[in-house]
Amino acid sequence: MEVLALGLKTLCDPLVFSMLLLGVTAGLVIGTIPGLNDNIAFAVFLPFSFSLRADMALALMVGVYCSTAIGGAIPAIMMRVPGTASSMLTLIDGNAMARKGQAGQALSIAVTSSVVGGIVSALVLLFFAPLLAKFALKFGYVENFALGVLGLSSVVGLLSGNVLKGLVSGVLGLLVATIGFTLKTGQPRFVFDNMNLIEGVPFVALLIGLFGVAALFELVEEILVGKRSEGGHEVIPGIGSTKLSGRLIRRLVPTWFRSSFIGSAIGIAPGAGSLMAIYVAYDQAARAYLRRRHQAPDDPRWGEGAPEGVAAPETANNAVVASSMVPLLSLGIPGNSVSALFIAALAIQGMVPGPLLFTEHLDIAWMILTGFLVANILMGPLSYLMINTMIRMVFSLSKETMVAAIALLCLTGAYADGNNVFNIWVALMAGAVGYGMKKFNVPLAPAILGIVLGRKIEDSLMSSLAVSDGSWWIFLDPKSHPISLALLVASAAFLVGPVLSAWRRSITKHAPSSAN
Amino acid sequence: MKMLKCVVLAAAAAVVGAPVHAADYPSRNIDLVVPFNPGGAVDTTSRMAAETAKKFLNGIEIKIINKDGGGGVVGQTFAARAKPDGYTMLAITNSAVSSPLLKGAPFKITDFTAVGLYTIDPEVIAVPDTSPFKTITDFMAAAKQRKLNIVSSGAGTSHHMAGLAIELGAKVEFTYVFSRGFGEELQAMLGGHVDGALWPFGIAKQQAVGGGTRILAVASNESMPGFESVPTWEKSGLGVPAWQTFRGWAVPKGTPQEVVTFLSDLLKKITAEPDYRAKMDKAGFPVVYRNAEGFAKTIAEEDVLTRRIMNEKGLTLKK
Repeated sequence: MEVLALGLKTLCDPLVFSMLLLGVTAGLVIGTIPGLNDNIAFAVFLPFSFSLRADMALALMVGVYCSTAIGGAIPAIMMRVPGTASSMLTLIDGNAMARKGQAGQALSIAVTSSVVGGIVSALVLLFFAPLLAKFALKFGYVENFALGVLGLSSVVGLLSGNVLKGLVSGVLGLLVATIGFTLKTGQPRFVFDNMNLIEGVPFVALLIGLFGVAALFELVEEILVGKRSEGGHEVIPGIGSTKLSGRLIRRLVPTWFRSSFIGSAIGIAPGAGSLMAIYVAYDQAARAYLRRRHQAPDDPRWGEGAPEGVAAPETANNAVVASSMVPLLSLGIPGNSVSALFIAALAIQGMVPGPLLFTEHLDIAWMILTGFLVANILMGPLSYLMINTMIRMVFSLSKETMVAAIALLCLTGAYADGNNVFNIWVALMAGAVGYGMKKFNVPLAPAILGIVLGRKIEDSLMSSLAVSDGSWWIFLDPKSHPISLALLVASAAFLVGPVLSAWRRSITKHAPSSAN
Repeated sequence: MKMLKCVVLAAAAAVVGAPVHAADYPSRNIDLVVPFNPGGAVDTTSRMAAETAKKFLNGIEIKIINKDGGGGVVGQTFAARAKPDGYTMLAITNSAVSSPLLKGAPFKITDFTAVGLYTIDPEVIAVPDTSPFKTITDFMAAAKQRKLNIVSSGAGTSHHMAGLAIELGAKVEFTYVFSRGFGEELQAMLGGHVDGALWPFGIAKQQAVGGGTRILAVASNESMPGFESVPTWEKSGLGVPAWQTFRGWAVPKGTPQEVVTFLSDLLKKITAEPDYRAKMDKAGFPVVYRNAEGFAKTIAEEDVLTRRIMNEKGLTLKK
């Protein structure tokens, strides 16, 4: 408790607090811009952190880290372009709601869900960090492989439409993930003699292309078609109320609870990454929704404007944030690229994350811990402010201006990630592919899941087999790798479950008819 | 005729102009290409140096340009092809030597002129705190019994090469588990998922002081300050003398000698600055300065050593 007070005291320094506030605001703005994310923001900010006091620099980073995900949801809902990768699934139901005139509701759900997820995660970080860090250490290569398989099994939730097309998309993603050097040999694979591909297809540029540039092509098409036939383009009818009814809030509580848990748990495992948490939470929400819809057939179908489809990924993407700091702060292990930049910022200030931070810089360590909680609380009202201004802006833009703005943001964003012109080509290519996929109704989400998890699964599989001297039983060893066994059993259940229940339904449907 | 005169005059001006240009150096900001993502050891140490350089450059700055990709190859190639005018430098490390040899990078190490070196980080063998190996003798005795699992950054890096050198020197064999980032290595070590790690001293020191890992032997000529009880590789019978990660500056071949000397002297001043030394020390990087000539020798030796190990281990250049 004393340390808690120390953390709050450090945070209450007016300069530090205003940096946190600035960070949250900046994060919201950065998040709304497709192509900019917390990673790029930190990289840009890093040189300036020399001239700032350590507590101020870190407060700013905490603020940005917390709020970018909410920012990302705004263009996802309004324009079907995710501002950050974390809002990739939000756009499915979110944009569907917006097109039905419920944009306000969708945005409100996104904000409240993010705040709930963020606060739960911040509390987890604040009170259980040392305990959970010990647990996080149990995740070796074998466990990471099993976790990857579990993540991949969440593809089921994404197959709400055409199952075959979803699977094709997933496999496509896995194939793209094979591009780049293999960890085992260090040799380039499928790089076509292009040095830019040695580390794989640049991910940020790829996402910008698949979503941003593809949306750009669609807008251009709408303009061209609209010019020919005068009108006929789809516009968001209105924003509608941003006030959530008590009934809706009560209805979302289980989703919030489940997704916060999933996000926090996956966030703690180093290397799992936020996208996996979002996918798993979305998948679980989809399953629950399908069960629920049996009782309420009037509700929109999953993927066509279900509030849970916004709540689940938005809760999870903020629940990952603070919990991903657990291994970083207690052990010095960066779980993702953003927390690696936290290490850089600390190093510049002459600090080392991990146990040393808590002995040498107790005030800074606890300022960061409490900062996450405070930032998440500040985030709510600031987001509403942001939404009101953003919406007015988006509505006042003509389609032509929007095309120019998106084009500029996407291409500079792609370039900014690595300062490489090659990335612009990747974005344009991916844009064409994304546009084509949309034309043929092939969902994008399974492909991204494949790209994200393909390499993780391959790496951890190769490393596990190296450690086990080639024995596959290592994954099912109940004594030395119980976590792996449990995760693999769970993934098997996730995959087989829907098939079994469908089979049972068909039996019960057939049973009375055969009795007659 | 008048035309010809003009051409001659212009040519003369250009000839005279070139050395004048070098004397004016630097007249604008200097780009320091870091061929990795922000946040790593090369990036952090480069930023510290750039910050300190402000004291000596009267308003001119060293700008860090992160050009990552290809395990350093993209940025290294970019720097090798840059105009040799002293306004593009490469933050150079061992990988600039191994990339052309192992990854078929489209440049040669001789495409660079060494400017100076600011840190030498000897390689260490570290084990988890929970490991049964208390000394390097325990470790090597076990290595003779079975293949130990060693975590290191990617295949073909100087850390992997260090392991291969031990294999040759001490007649053992290791199983290597590679990583895509230091976080993965630390996780494997702290969780006891591997037997040991090959790390640079700077990183290993932080982990050893913080608890969780133990350094068994260090590949320097003498024992390291603060770790006097840790024996050197040579003394431990690994059959490998000093093995180190170096970090320094290089410019494209053909950069005027005056410019190289200017930058080399600048680096000397930076490394002598107490504030810089304190920050580097805190972050775990031993500050060592070598001028252009000394650094060129270090790089040449690394090239010979890498080729020898590749040769003896049967590794070939892959296209």
